Amino acid sequence: MVKNSIIFIIFITFIDAKSSSINLEKTCLSCHTKQKIPSELIYRRYLMKYSDSTIIKNRILEYLKHPIQKNSIMPKQFFLKFPMKNRTDLNQTILYQEVEEYINFFDIKKKLVLPSDINKN
Amino acid sequence: MLSSEKRSLFRFLAIYLSSTLILFLLTTTILYHYQKHNIIDRQRDKLQVEVQKIVQKLRVLHTSFNTHLVYPYYKPFNSAIYDINKKYIFGSFHPKNILWDREFYIKNDTLFFVYKIKPYYLGAYYLIVSNKINPKPIQNLQKILGLFLLIAFIFFTLLGIFLGKLFVAPMKESMDNLNRFIQDTTHELNTPISTILTNIELLETLYDCNGKKEMKRIEIASKTLSRLYDDLTYLKLNHNYHRDIKSINISQLIYERIDFFSTMIESKLINLELFIEPNIILKMDKNDTIRLIDNILSNAIKYNLVKGNLKIELNSKELVVYNSGIGIKTKDLKTIHLRFCRANLNEGGFGIGLDIIQYIVKQYNFKFNIESIENHYTKVTIRW
Repeated sequence: MVKNSIIFIIFITFIDAKSSSINLEKTCLSCHTKQKIPSELIYRRYLMKYSDSTIIKNRILEYLKHPIQKNSIMPKQFFLKFPMKNRTDLNQTILYQEVEEYINFFDIKKKLVLPSDINKN
Repeated sequence: MLSSEKRSLFRFLAIYLSSTLILFLLTTTILYHYQKHNIIDRQRDKLQVEVQKIVQKLRVLHTSFNTHLVYPYYKPFNSAIYDINKKYIFGSFHPKNILWDREFYIKNDTLFFVYKIKPYYLGAYYLIVSNKINPKPIQNLQKILGLFLLIAFIFFTLLGIFLGKLFVAPMKESMDNLNRFIQDTTHELNTPISTILTNIELLETLYDCNGKKEMKRIEIASKTLSRLYDDLTYLKLNHNYHRDIKSINISQLIYERIDFFSTMIESKLINLELFIEPNIILKMDKNDTIRLIDNILSNAIKYNLVKGNLKIELNSKELVVYNSGIGIKTKDLKTIHLRFCRANLNEGGFGIGLDIIQYIVKQYNFKFNIESIENHYTKVTIRW
């Protein structure tokens, strides 16, 4: 019984993770890809400036709610090449989840490996 | 070498060596800490170079969008990156209890370098780099300084002995001269004293002499000289003297020695009280025992008053000789036992009696105590 419950929880978590990843792809990244906006580069800029994920989250939320150049991490020149984003129509909860997912998707910790780990692979 | 010479030499050596050693220890400790600091500084410099290398690599990684970002890890240096809230991001190790406010610190023989990265490549605000302190240069330093201390100690000990001997040379010369004089005197005294004592005995046995009082005086004087001769010979020989240790009946010997001193006791009209337990046996050399008892009794008689009291107590634990004499000043009690030291110059003698007592007491690990109040009494106790 316990074994079945654990398997069920893992399965649900996996499905949930997969579905949130699909949501992020649908609501954010698909557009970024289409317009060739470098999502990871933007995330790295946030990371380089703020270091802390909570501050990064708040800054992104602020930009998404009020998409003006002042609230953006990107320089002026960036908006000469790429259009300013329209104000989001997503509700607060979904927006919050999507930003969290965005940060999680590009999380640097997932990419970093030790040289010995590369050799093993 | 006489004990006083030895004492002077040891005192000089102790002062000289301890002051030299303290000075050297102090210098060596300062030098050791200075050099150790230099060694650690050099290792710290290496750590700083490593920090710059890692920061450069992080900068490159920050602009890389590969699937895997290979963290710069160069053995033996360990490093880790933390965000602005000191939250661990990644690293080759995960140290605990980091001292964030210190740039450098040493913990468990490991050198830590806390570096703040600006801008925050990969979100890293802190970079911690650590390396085990290489103990070899420090161990080599310890060996060199230890060897230096040892050589310095040996050199200064030898120098100290040489200087010490120079220092006590005049004293040694005076003591040698005195000893030589005593040796010559005793040699010259031996034959006439023996002749006088033998002839007094003959006179007393063979002839009915009219001048008995005068004869007694001659006998006392001769016995005093004879005892002095024995003491001086004992002092001269005691360094090379072979002791024949056997059971001695102290009770019986004390009676014999009282008999020897009887003429002196009678002449001073001393009231003698004896509390001697019979057959008290001690394992001693006979000559040592006689010298010990003779010197105690002789002092007790010599420094006693006319018609004074002399009390001798002997039991299985101690010998106590009490006399109602001139006593000893409190300030003289500490030095009275030293050779040639005399607290009272009115009476004759060389001031060697207590030195002999002290020497014998020390040889047999006895306890020796003098208790005295000037012009009242002197009490000598020997415990075994």
